[in-house]
Amino acid sequence: MANIKTKFTVIEGNSAGYWLLVAVLGLLSLGGFWSSYMMFLHGHYMTGMTNAIPWGFPIVMAVYLIGLSAGSLVLSALSSVFGRTEFKPLARISALLAALLLIGALMCIILDWGRPDRILVPFYSMNPRSMFSLNGMLYSTYIGICFVYLWAMFNHKEKLVKLLGFTAVFWAVLVHSGTGAIFGFVGARELYHSPLLPPSFIAAALSSGTALMILVLYATFKFTGRQLDDGLIRRLGLYLAVFIAVVAYLVFIENVTRSYWPGNYAVQKFLLLFGNKYSLIFWIGMIGCGLLFPFIILANPATGKSIGWILVASALVVIGVLAERYIIVIPGQVMPMEMFPGYHIAGPFQDGRMIDYYLSPMEILFGAGITAFVFFLYALSLKFFEMTPDKAAGESGN
Amino acid sequence: MPEMDRRSLLKMGAAAIAGTVIGNGVTLYTSPARAEEGGGPPGAAATNALEIPSKGKARWGMVIDNNKCTAQCTACTAACRTENNVPLFGDERYDGHWIRKVTLTPERGGPEKHLPLLCNHCDQPPCQHVCPVAATFTRHDGIVMIDKHRCIGCRYCMIACPYKARTFVFKETSEWTNKDVPKRAHGVVEKCTFCAHLIDQGKIPACVEACNKSGEGAMIFGDLNNPGSAIVKYIRAVATKGIREDLGLEPKVSYTGI
Repeated sequence: MANIKTKFTVIEGNSAGYWLLVAVLGLLSLGGFWSSYMMFLHGHYMTGMTNAIPWGFPIVMAVYLIGLSAGSLVLSALSSVFGRTEFKPLARISALLAALLLIGALMCIILDWGRPDRILVPFYSMNPRSMFSLNGMLYSTYIGICFVYLWAMFNHKEKLVKLLGFTAVFWAVLVHSGTGAIFGFVGARELYHSPLLPPSFIAAALSSGTALMILVLYATFKFTGRQLDDGLIRRLGLYLAVFIAVVAYLVFIENVTRSYWPGNYAVQKFLLLFGNKYSLIFWIGMIGCGLLFPFIILANPATGKSIGWILVASALVVIGVLAERYIIVIPGQVMPMEMFPGYHIAGPFQDGRMIDYYLSPMEILFGAGITAFVFFLYALSLKFFEMTPDKAAGESGN
Repeated sequence: MPEMDRRSLLKMGAAAIAGTVIGNGVTLYTSPARAEEGGGPPGAAATNALEIPSKGKARWGMVIDNNKCTAQCTACTAACRTENNVPLFGDERYDGHWIRKVTLTPERGGPEKHLPLLCNHCDQPPCQHVCPVAATFTRHDGIVMIDKHRCIGCRYCMIACPYKARTFVFKETSEWTNKDVPKRAHGVVEKCTFCAHLIDQGKIPACVEACNKSGEGAMIFGDLNNPGSAIVKYIRAVATKGIREDLGLEPKVSYTGI
């Protein structure tokens, strides 16, 4: 296997199309930064968040990007840790994307603070009991590991690559378990409090990360006129199907467990049946786009081998997991907390009512802008660093 | 000023001998002897002075006699707004609430209950547990407070609090009538402080004072560590209960009749 030598090069990056892409992504990023500056300047009333829904779309985006990052990094480690050398050509791109996506996630979290100017406070004032504080440490070390890992790959330090690849996978699991725990550990909210959240976060990270890698790889190779073996995409498609099945199992267990006990009937009725847009996002977004449709596409022999269909399935998963993250973050706040069992409560703090959350244009710009910034950095990195293999052949490693 | 009886005079003398001085105009207060004489539950006595912690450190707590609290009365919430400049923006999505009145209607029918909700100053405060920068802390006397200069505005505490006791400052407000409390800027989380600035001057929280003065006298505030305090005597005489005690947060605010 060592005889397969992959040559990594920079992309040309001189075409009008490339610069147009960079310009559009750059402009969108500026839009995102502007929206966060407006939130900082005038207050969070510019968003859809309220006192009853203190976490809105920026947190959804943060969790989503963290998942994509963890998934990408595991793919990067497939060659170094799990010995799947056919994936070696993708190792650099996926490690780069993992680092950039996590930078994006951290930006989503920090720029969503009421006081992002206090960026230095977490460095000198920590609380080891807080999952946010612990995750801050995990995220920043994770970004560091990604860059050292990339450096080792660039300098062909094979032993270090293997060690770092292993560390990176372990760290990615920690990072995503920690992210799940931000919600899972909250005992006050019925839809958050679940020990299944950390593992199901990892599973959804793997499915969405793989799906994003399929799309990014295909686009990068197509755009730069490089040869990408169909076998590689098909194999990733197979992994994607497996990851989807794991997510589906965990989602099923969680919801069946909650639906069984009468005390949770109200919560489950809201989430699954009568929650209007939340139920729609649950069934069409999370279950349909994230699990059911892509699984049918990938498992069906007629479509599962077609590159076009695999791309469709991947796009569906990337959308579906965003819907899943939304379903994790938002309905847990929309559903009022049971403060006085046996009583209806009414009060000035929107007490005892479903509080609707409206996604504001400001938050959409924020989320889109920071995602654009991630890919802005990605496009520039390909131009300045030797990230991209001249070709990626699929089955040759087997 | 409460009517002095023999007991309180004796106690006052003892305190004076011990050299306990907590400030100008501060009078000692004990529960009315009525309870012991008459055998009925002791009521809240109208006083604006804070009890001196017996010895060691205080652990401030509150009992609300829900049977006295009425639908129309807004003495406590109004007093809190004045004392702490808690802003109303005319939009229920952003209004700040340090204490609010709620109405409880039994699901199986029956009379409504009215009661104030405020920060419960839990002994196991989840808001403090989740705060990433340790901006929420518990004072030595058990009051859970926010260091507004350290808060980064991540709002994790609002997610973790089961009582909805915390509000975020969503926009700038110029409301700053009482200069004894810090001016607020948007972007940080805030909540009830049990009027710590008043406690430190030997006074009781504004809501309790207002409830005694113009309300129904439904609130008792005092030192839970002091076996002789009115609040401890009340808790020993009458069945009280904290909100969602099953969550294990050990709230220091409890209610009679929920």
